[in-house]
Amino acid sequence: VTTDQAEAPAARSTASADPRPLPLAGVRVIDVGNFLAGPYAASILGEFGAEVLKVEHPLAGDPMRRYGTATKRADATLKWLSEGRNRKSVTIDLRQPEGVRLFLRLAEKSDVLIENFRPGTMEEWGLGWTQVHAVNPRLVMLRVSGYGQTGPYRRRSGFAHIAQAFGGLNYLCGFPGESPTLPGTVPLGDYIASLFGAIGILVALRHRDATGRGQMIDVGIYEAVFRILEEIAGVYGAQGKIREREGSGSFVAVPHGHFRTRDDKWIAIACTTDKMFERLSVAMGQPHLSSSTLYGDQRKRLAARDTVNQIVIEWVGSLTRDEVLAKCLEEEVPAGKVNSIADIFADEQFQARGNLQRFTDPEAGEVIVPGVVPTLSATPGRISNLGPTLGDATESVMRDLLGLAAEEIARLRQQRVI
Amino acid sequence: MTESVTATGTHATPPVTPPLAGIRVIDIATIIAAPFTATLLGEFGADVLKIEHPLGGDGLRKFGTPSQRADTYTWLSEARNKRSVTLDLRHPEGVAIFKRLIAETDVLCENFRTGTMEKWGVGWDVLRAINPRLVMLRVTGYGQTGPYRDRPGFARVAHAVGGIAYLAGMPKGTPVTPGSTTLGDYMTGLYGAIGVLLALRHRDLTGEGQYVDAALYESVFRCTDELAPAYGMYGIVRERQGSSHNDYAVPHGHFATKDAKWVAISCATDKLFARLAAAMGRPELASHSIYGEQQVRLEHKHDVNEIVRDWCGSLTREEVLERCYAHDVPAGPLNNIRDIFADRQFHARRNLIAVDEEDTGETVIVPAPVPRMSETPGTIRSLGPRLGQHTDEVLHELLGMTDDEIAELRRKRVV
Repeated sequence: VTTDQAEAPAARSTASADPRPLPLAGVRVIDVGNFLAGPYAASILGEFGAEVLKVEHPLAGDPMRRYGTATKRADATLKWLSEGRNRKSVTIDLRQPEGVRLFLRLAEKSDVLIENFRPGTMEEWGLGWTQVHAVNPRLVMLRVSGYGQTGPYRRRSGFAHIAQAFGGLNYLCGFPGESPTLPGTVPLGDYIASLFGAIGILVALRHRDATGRGQMIDVGIYEAVFRILEEIAGVYGAQGKIREREGSGSFVAVPHGHFRTRDDKWIAIACTTDKMFERLSVAMGQPHLSSSTLYGDQRKRLAARDTVNQIVIEWVGSLTRDEVLAKCLEEEVPAGKVNSIADIFADEQFQARGNLQRFTDPEAGEVIVPGVVPTLSATPGRISNLGPTLGDATESVMRDLLGLAAEEIARLRQQRVI
Repeated sequence: MTESVTATGTHATPPVTPPLAGIRVIDIATIIAAPFTATLLGEFGADVLKIEHPLGGDGLRKFGTPSQRADTYTWLSEARNKRSVTLDLRHPEGVAIFKRLIAETDVLCENFRTGTMEKWGVGWDVLRAINPRLVMLRVTGYGQTGPYRDRPGFARVAHAVGGIAYLAGMPKGTPVTPGSTTLGDYMTGLYGAIGVLLALRHRDLTGEGQYVDAALYESVFRCTDELAPAYGMYGIVRERQGSSHNDYAVPHGHFATKDAKWVAISCATDKLFARLAAAMGRPELASHSIYGEQQVRLEHKHDVNEIVRDWCGSLTREEVLERCYAHDVPAGPLNNIRDIFADRQFHARRNLIAVDEEDTGETVIVPAPVPRMSETPGTIRSLGPRLGQHTDEVLHELLGMTDDEIAELRRKRVV
């Protein structure tokens, strides 16, 4: 099995045997979070070689095991199978004092701790930053919550949907004057917060290796989303201009949007510059449109937005999606299919880059999940296993990592501490 | 530049050496995707050299709304902490200087069409021979491999190809922009930073550099939770879901209030619905015989949503939210940028930083660095530089060039 995603066949089985050490080999991560906001950072670290211990409640485990589309495996939805990747599951009840002591011993032997409880919860259990930092001054702790660890709203419950709305993203999604819609997928804010979290962890590990000092990283989902809204703050601050929903278009360029084809599919066309529009007008067989007296200039196109869009709507509507795309690509117009997941599975680029990876779970059967992003040339990431069964590594972690005797482990189990 | 007042006070200077101090980054990319990686590295202390074409520079200077200095607000914000050096890579002397700079550099960020760097004689093989410890980030629409690698790729197209544009919008309606046309650029910049930091770690351990191959479409596709597994296992093609996530949970969506504003309410569990029912003053709705169970709510989603819609429509946004918060219901406003500027949480967390632009004195408000780190917080030391503002300084400092040599290069329009 090759680990070079770029050359791998589509949807292949991955449990890879590449001997090259990954950059995070030897780094131990405890993921005590639920769902995705924060835990996805652990997934990325795991893909690049970290050992990830998912600490879960002994009875229920991560609720993501039950959220989403069910499988034949009682403890795993498809969300869990895919996003629980590369983990070992360790059950510990943090509501019991003995569980807290076990957890602190794990923290002592770990490099990174990731949590996303409501701010104050870890502190109630005696597992706040002060406590974990005291047992392990080299520990890096990522804390993700809807509103961050500080500020007046810190205790409010903050799911991705709410935090994305609060951060300003959802207001911008949809048609002007109509109901704002979701920005494509619901947990987008969870993923984005996790990406910032992973960056924070990697930066903090570097600082830790240089100085011996760990630190705490605090991410509010709302601020992760707000950070990537380009000029919106600057323009409001300077001119008081409020960005509104732009439907399927763009305020800065025309034509730039989604257009329906004759076969009732959709295509995206993005003419950011005059040169791109010139190419499009050639593709449409109407090169005169890009003359300076007509619509050659972006400002003229913005002023005549509806007219220009109408020309594109009619042209696109007269052809099938494949025909429109072929003509656009021939003239190097930035254009692409608005892919459904069915289109994606049939797409040769997704196949060529190994974006879909196939696994067989003993109970759930064949599962196809998104591959590792980004692709590193010398140390490509790997998916070693899908979401584990609840507590699959409790025994080995208690015995090998914490040095507990078999009777001790049995007692803890019996008392439901683990 | 005075790094002045934020909405609530001054921006802290880091008490310790920044974690990326001593790392030099060359950002030869344009617009947002790969440059945002360099922005993130710069906030944590890397020295970022923005290399731009002598005429016009990075297109981001013109992308969006112009500031008083003519460069756009996005440029001023996102080119934060960078030093601008002009260099024409279409000129052989420009290429020679670029190679000398690469010898002094840890990270290179580029996002030209595939083959462009190679055409200029500065592809990966050449650069690695000059500096085997180099980490190179390459961002394109479709990646460096595969049948579409040479196609032009913008975030708009990447959202479409990566599958999230199809999901955004009202059911059966026109697919809409997923909130921001540059979303995929930023997300790829985030993945790029992760790749670069991983590669730096590998480099420090082994001495071996490498390149990171990031594709805009892959960044958005990776964040589609179980979209792919659900199609793979059951053939489920997810469609646009409007403002709600009603395949899993009800009520879960956006609701209009009496004052023509919007709130988001998300009741993922029965417990949360019971709280909402109490907040609405109708606790009986959460009884088992009515809508207490998710399965029943899913079956009657129109009726349940109608109840919530009517309730929200009878109150102002503030009233709805007060009642939701009082009962600990996950709810929040759909903030526009004016709401954000007025919000206490944004102020308390200093998410907005005011920086004075040094030429015009214009006060520019930009988003603060994310994430917040307890020991080594990110900093904004300067806004986006003027084109070529640091050319002389950098050519002196790194390559030991004299004023005369630089003047000659300028005359030949190499810099």
